[in-house]
Amino acid sequence: MKHISIILLAALLSVKATGQTLYACKNAQVSLFSTAPIEDIAAKTSSGNSVYNAASGDLVFSVPITTFKFPKSLMEEHFNSDYLESDKYPRATFKGKIKEQPDLTKNGSYPITIVGELDVHNVKQNRTIQGNLTVNNGVITMTAEFMVKCADHHIEIPRLVFHNIAESIKMNVNATYTAVK
Amino acid sequence: MKKHIAVLALLAVTWSAKAQQKSSADSLMNAMSANDKPVRVAIFKSTRLVLAQTTEMVKKNELNFQIIHRFGDIAGTNGGGQTAFGIDRVNDVFFGFEYGVSDNFNLDLGRSTIGQLVQLEAKWALVHQTSTDSSPFAVTLVGEVGAKPYQVATFPTFSSRMSYLAQAIIARKFSSDLSLQVAPTYVSNNTPFPLLPGNEKSFFAVQASARIKLSNHAGLILDYAHPFSNFRTKANGFEDPIGIGYEVETGGHVFTVNITNSNSISEMNMLSNNQHQFSKGQYRIGFTISRMFDFNPKVKKDNK
Repeated sequence: MKHISIILLAALLSVKATGQTLYACKNAQVSLFSTAPIEDIAAKTSSGNSVYNAASGDLVFSVPITTFKFPKSLMEEHFNSDYLESDKYPRATFKGKIKEQPDLTKNGSYPITIVGELDVHNVKQNRTIQGNLTVNNGVITMTAEFMVKCADHHIEIPRLVFHNIAESIKMNVNATYTAVK
Repeated sequence: MKKHIAVLALLAVTWSAKAQQKSSADSLMNAMSANDKPVRVAIFKSTRLVLAQTTEMVKKNELNFQIIHRFGDIAGTNGGGQTAFGIDRVNDVFFGFEYGVSDNFNLDLGRSTIGQLVQLEAKWALVHQTSTDSSPFAVTLVGEVGAKPYQVATFPTFSSRMSYLAQAIIARKFSSDLSLQVAPTYVSNNTPFPLLPGNEKSFFAVQASARIKLSNHAGLILDYAHPFSNFRTKANGFEDPIGIGYEVETGGHVFTVNITNSNSISEMNMLSNNQHQFSKGQYRIGFTISRMFDFNPKVKKDNK
């Protein structure tokens, strides 16, 4: 009987240990930037969600489209209704894996390669994104910068406003994760 | 035996822990994604359709400048090739300035050719339609005061040339393809307009409108208005205003081309006095151009 309880205790402890490999972020910052002959467009959200499984390397990202804030409210409205159609496709998601397995117990900065599927405007694209992972006393921060072509996600830009919007949008992602217990 | 149970128990626990880990990553993601806040639904592309105003507001510190035209009759005795199907004649021009005091409160100023009517308007968005349908429709209240500043024999005093309008606009976007709106309205003119024996000073009216999406940037807009007036009847030469238009939005501009039997643009004129009939060729081309100016302080680009 004693043995069982000891083993069960050990098992429970091990459950706790595996639980430590999950990291979550509720306020990932995602910003987009487009530069075009007539006007620059910049928008930002800090409502992205992300979960990182350090054991498997799995990385999931989800950003509500409607939370992107633009300096001009009209831009925001058009971004939602005309381009991203957020009423039909409310979220942009990314599901992938981090190739490297950085040592999360050691403080430091590690370059990472993220391979996965980016789903924007209900169009999935396989992407390989270069980023950076920093560990600071158990707190993980990931950053990445990459370009997204509007055409890749069937986001059509009409000729009339062609000069207002660039064909490629620069994305910046900054997410800080804490361990999930 | 005890040992076996212990090993089995250990196996079971570690196995379930592994399974949990996989599903917990997904369930954690789902739990975090579940609390999406409801957002305001943009029901229309513009604050104005062909005849009616919409529930849409000009946002804080923004100014919407509108130029609205109604040309002459396309057909009938005043139309035809001689007037380039009405293009040579301008029946009404409306300049409108709509300013966002806040996202939910606008002050608007407008001036019409017909009667040289100058109007001041307060517009208040009471309820917005939300993405979660916690509010299934939008309600906006409109109050207008109008004055015809120039003296004419039939309207001798300034107060006799004043008009008032109160309106509740109720709209809903049923899908991204279809938005509908109905607006019960009360119009009061200090002198009956048009000044004809038997005409009422004040009356109720209703406006009904629709927008059908044609593409992400264009839509078909339909407008109808009916004054509940014993005097404004077909027998007395009145007809309910009807409008149909094509609306294109290009960034900060909204452009509308329309055909309507209404001569006048301001609702106070349009609802009070529409003696133009489709059957007599008294319908015309009109257009609306609007440009949104933004006076919000520029946000610094935090981009390297």
